[in-house]
Amino acid sequence: MVLVLALGDLHIPHRAPDLPAKFKSMLVPGKIQHIICTGNLCIKEVHDYLKTLCPDLHIARGEYDEDSRYPETKTITIGQFKVGLCHGHQVIPWGDLDSLAMLQRQLDVDILVTGHTHQFTAYKHEGGVVINPGSATGAHSSITYDVNPSFILMDIDGLRVVVYVYELIDGEVKVDKIDFKKTTATTAN
Amino acid sequence: MKKVPDWLNSSLWSSVASPSDRISPYDSKSTTAAAPHPATEPPAPVLPPSVVREEPPELEPVSPSNDRGDDENVRPERPSAEDISRQSLLLAELSKKVINIGELRRITSQGLPDGSGIRSAVWKLLLGYLPPDRGLWLSELAKKRLQYQNFKTELLMNPSEITRKMDKSTVSGNDEMKSTSGELSRSDLTGGEHPLSLGETSVWNKFFQETEIIEQIDRDVKRTHPDMHFFSGDSLDAKANQEALKTVLTIFAKLNPGIRYVQGMNEILAPLYYVFRNDPNEGYAASAEADSFFCFVELLSGFRDNFCKQLDNSVVGIRSTITRLSEMLKQHDEELWRHLEITTKVNPQFYAFRWITLLLTQEFNFADSLHIWDALLSDPEGPQETVLRVCCAMLILVRRRLLAGDFTSNLRLLQNYPSTNIAHLLYVANKLRSTP
Repeated sequence: MVLVLALGDLHIPHRAPDLPAKFKSMLVPGKIQHIICTGNLCIKEVHDYLKTLCPDLHIARGEYDEDSRYPETKTITIGQFKVGLCHGHQVIPWGDLDSLAMLQRQLDVDILVTGHTHQFTAYKHEGGVVINPGSATGAHSSITYDVNPSFILMDIDGLRVVVYVYELIDGEVKVDKIDFKKTTATTAN
Repeated sequence: MKKVPDWLNSSLWSSVASPSDRISPYDSKSTTAAAPHPATEPPAPVLPPSVVREEPPELEPVSPSNDRGDDENVRPERPSAEDISRQSLLLAELSKKVINIGELRRITSQGLPDGSGIRSAVWKLLLGYLPPDRGLWLSELAKKRLQYQNFKTELLMNPSEITRKMDKSTVSGNDEMKSTSGELSRSDLTGGEHPLSLGETSVWNKFFQETEIIEQIDRDVKRTHPDMHFFSGDSLDAKANQEALKTVLTIFAKLNPGIRYVQGMNEILAPLYYVFRNDPNEGYAASAEADSFFCFVELLSGFRDNFCKQLDNSVVGIRSTITRLSEMLKQHDEELWRHLEITTKVNPQFYAFRWITLLLTQEFNFADSLHIWDALLSDPEGPQETVLRVCCAMLILVRRRLLAGDFTSNLRLLQNYPSTNIAHLLYVANKLRSTP
């Protein structure tokens, strides 16, 4: 039972001052084992804050990130799943399923987590699952101002993943979940 | 101040373990030849013992049982006629169709033999786990062991499994990752449960709160009796035993949210589990975990209040119990009481707290503490009352050293109580009974 927090596109301080208070009250240290961040934090303080929630932090570089040392893409193995991470501004058209599927095949991962569109989406295709956690602060994207703050929490338990989607709609936190399973175990390479 | 009567100053009361003191505890009855005592009439209510220990009739082989590294409870091997008769009495009582618990208590108070599974059966009877009617044993045991299994499966599930069980009805259509492409459907939460939930009744929230307790249990179990191979070390057995201890304590903590786990409970559980696990009957030994869980609950029920912080200062709390010990000492040996508490200001909380809450498991070696527990469990007054008398006896036995000592030496002595003849200690404790 591994809990993985995926979030990104916070754009602190340029487009948003902080995470919504209701999100912050839920995110306490000690519960989460890994954090994957799609990028665009943008400053070191946010990095430090995330580090206090969980020491195992993975970040991909977004175009506005001030720390240029984050990698463009990253692959992590958590339990039976290989998880890929990329900000997503590099994949054109932005948010297009087929193009993201290409990236997923390139990285050879079961779950690909990207951001940039600031919209939560979760797609399934032959190669695996593509998830976009949206923007955790509700910062406006390059395309639209109509953004609800959102992030996801994945509960990886053996071959099964339950993705809990946390969204702030009209000031209230709404939580949904998505369930999916993998058919075969990953072979260790 | 009263002059100390000579009889009280005699070497009988000395706690220094001389080789002659290493006789089997069951010899107490055989040495009834009383050498004449200094004839002064004892002013204190404590009667001079009629047993003389200076010349033991037979010097038993000095057993290695005092050595902390010995797991096997080896006591002097040569059983006296006493031992054999007591053992046969016990076996006779235990093989009756309906066991007379009162009679059992009487025989047990003089001590149980190690080995041959007698202690395991007797403790279970004394703690009410086994009913006195032998015919009911099989069904009772089966019932209780099944109950424990159910506790384990229910309570040790992690929240992922719990929520999966909760929504078994809604089998998700997103099973195969290799099937159709498209947007993944979002479904509602079952019971509003999600991992970051801060709700009081949330399984996730409870899980995270309990994680801390489980970590504490884990640390304590690893520290239990580090000198014994049964509990500590790298052997598979030791690991299995530690796991069993952890499971019992975890389930207890989950079933008792009011008291949870308090450091020290592991020490109370350890002797129970040890005795049951070393039962020569294979079936019993295999279910030692379940049996010790229920016996632990029963034993703890008598003095749960000692472990509850809020009750510390109340009438039932540990402070008041320690005060009662103090009163008892004052009643039986006022000189010692005065010297200890007033002159040298050794507050009984400094030493008695551990003695009482842990039922003396930390003060003597493991084998000795099992013998003390025989007396504690068999006494009709109950372990909590009996332990007070034993503590009082412990103080009286070292009175000479205490009277000669100051705060530091007294405290050091009491916090590292010297090993002593347990039978003698229990005899003195018995004498302190407040029967009119």
